[in-house]
Amino acid sequence: MPITGAQLDALTEIFNIGAGRAASSLSDIVGDEVLLSVPRVEFYRASEIDANVLSLTSARLGSVQQKFKGPFDMAASLLFTEERALEIVQEMLGSQVQMEDLVEYEQEAMCEVGNIILNACLSAMADMLAISFESTLPEYSSGTPELVIGRIASDNANPMMLILHMNMCIEKRRSQGTLIFWLSSSSLQELMLHLDNFLARI
Amino acid sequence: MNPKEFGGDSPWPTIFDAVGFGVILVDADARVLLWNGWLTRHCGVNAQSALGQSLAAVFGDGVSPSFLAGLRNALHYKLPVVLSNVLHLCPLPLYAQTPTSATALRMPHAITMTPMVVSPWGACCLIQVTDSSRAVSREKVLQRHSERLNREVMTDSLTRAFSRGFFDQFYQQEFALAQRQGTRLSLIMIDVDYFKNYNDAYGHPAGDQALIAVVKALTATLLRATDKLARYGGEEFVVILPDCAQYKALAIAEQLRVAVSALKWPHRQSGISDQLTISLGVSTLESCQTCSAAMLLGAADLALYAAKSQGRNCVHYRSPKDAPAPV
Repeated sequence: MPITGAQLDALTEIFNIGAGRAASSLSDIVGDEVLLSVPRVEFYRASEIDANVLSLTSARLGSVQQKFKGPFDMAASLLFTEERALEIVQEMLGSQVQMEDLVEYEQEAMCEVGNIILNACLSAMADMLAISFESTLPEYSSGTPELVIGRIASDNANPMMLILHMNMCIEKRRSQGTLIFWLSSSSLQELMLHLDNFLARI
Repeated sequence: MNPKEFGGDSPWPTIFDAVGFGVILVDADARVLLWNGWLTRHCGVNAQSALGQSLAAVFGDGVSPSFLAGLRNALHYKLPVVLSNVLHLCPLPLYAQTPTSATALRMPHAITMTPMVVSPWGACCLIQVTDSSRAVSREKVLQRHSERLNREVMTDSLTRAFSRGFFDQFYQQEFALAQRQGTRLSLIMIDVDYFKNYNDAYGHPAGDQALIAVVKALTATLLRATDKLARYGGEEFVVILPDCAQYKALAIAEQLRVAVSALKWPHRQSGISDQLTISLGVSTLESCQTCSAAMLLGAADLALYAAKSQGRNCVHYRSPKDAPAPV
């Protein structure tokens, strides 16, 4: 199904509002200015996706997943790469643990950071589209990119993917994270319908 | 726990109070609907006092803003919230035992908030509080072990100078830094004169004591925190002097020589004195000089060899330019 420029713009705006809320929560927690923005939103088919498409060529990934239910259902995964996003997480935690052990060691904190970002994005969407969601508790997993992405992409019920490229900045360190929403075709149609209603209202 | 909510004979109040973590159910206005015995034990507020009160009022000033913000979000957006014990050590005023003083240390804990609809109350939020003090103390123990092991790997167990392993790593780092920043770097190689004779004459335990004394004297002479003394092997030591010119390195080497002489440590089998002495070889990487780490080390070693072959108890210098390229 074709996705219009206006729909993509609306989604980018929604997620930037969410990213702003997440940044504000994270800033409160770490006591330093955290900046988050979503410069780009893209759609893919799950079959087109691998670590290269997602620019996640790190040896290991950490992933926080939540499943959201509402007018449309989405499984969301926030992926942290070892070299990039983890550097920021390490900075936030002031962790002394070596970078290569961080994905395993700081699971609880990573889970919370993921939970803050996912909830902020979904609550911004709920506010803007005047809908509401329920969600499972965040679950953390880590492994090679093939394993982590393979595990999520194997969900045949959700062949469509909405990918958010997220810029993070803390203490002048810049990095990127990737947030992926997995949707069924009918959920994608429902999302587009809500976006059109939103666009019609403004 | 309020037994009235469950009817007279229900086993749930007993079970609920025996659960090994904190369970709170609040309504859409964050008023307490359920409160179990674990919470009473760890914050000193019993169910009768908590029920019907707003959670913020129950915990008073002791509750963290991040907990209240998380609860507001969980109630408003119906999305679950986790507060890890890493990013928030103690969001609630909970204690291992009910506190007797205001200065008591809080018990580290983690929190999960799960929005749900529960009859007859409607939209609620279940708050589970788990004790993380065991994980936190285990982490501290492991951290201490890890720091101690790191220190031990970096330190020579006999003399407490830095170890050879530390030197190999630190020297490479400092050399790369000096080349990148175009600064100078000096090395001093040190050998205790006639040390084999000392061991033969006094025995190895006495030899160990002599080395400890030498390291103490050398360390006391090095004033900059950036200057590092490492045991290179046996009775050989090396000093790394970052950003230090040739004339300064030579002056420091001479001070080190004098410091060891001043120990007046008897050595009846020394070929040059009746006391313990050291020979020193110095080399300096001048700013922006083209040279490798191995060449600088080789030059300091050659200078030490020269000091030893020309009478010992003295300081010699070699430029890295004069050192043969490493094979």
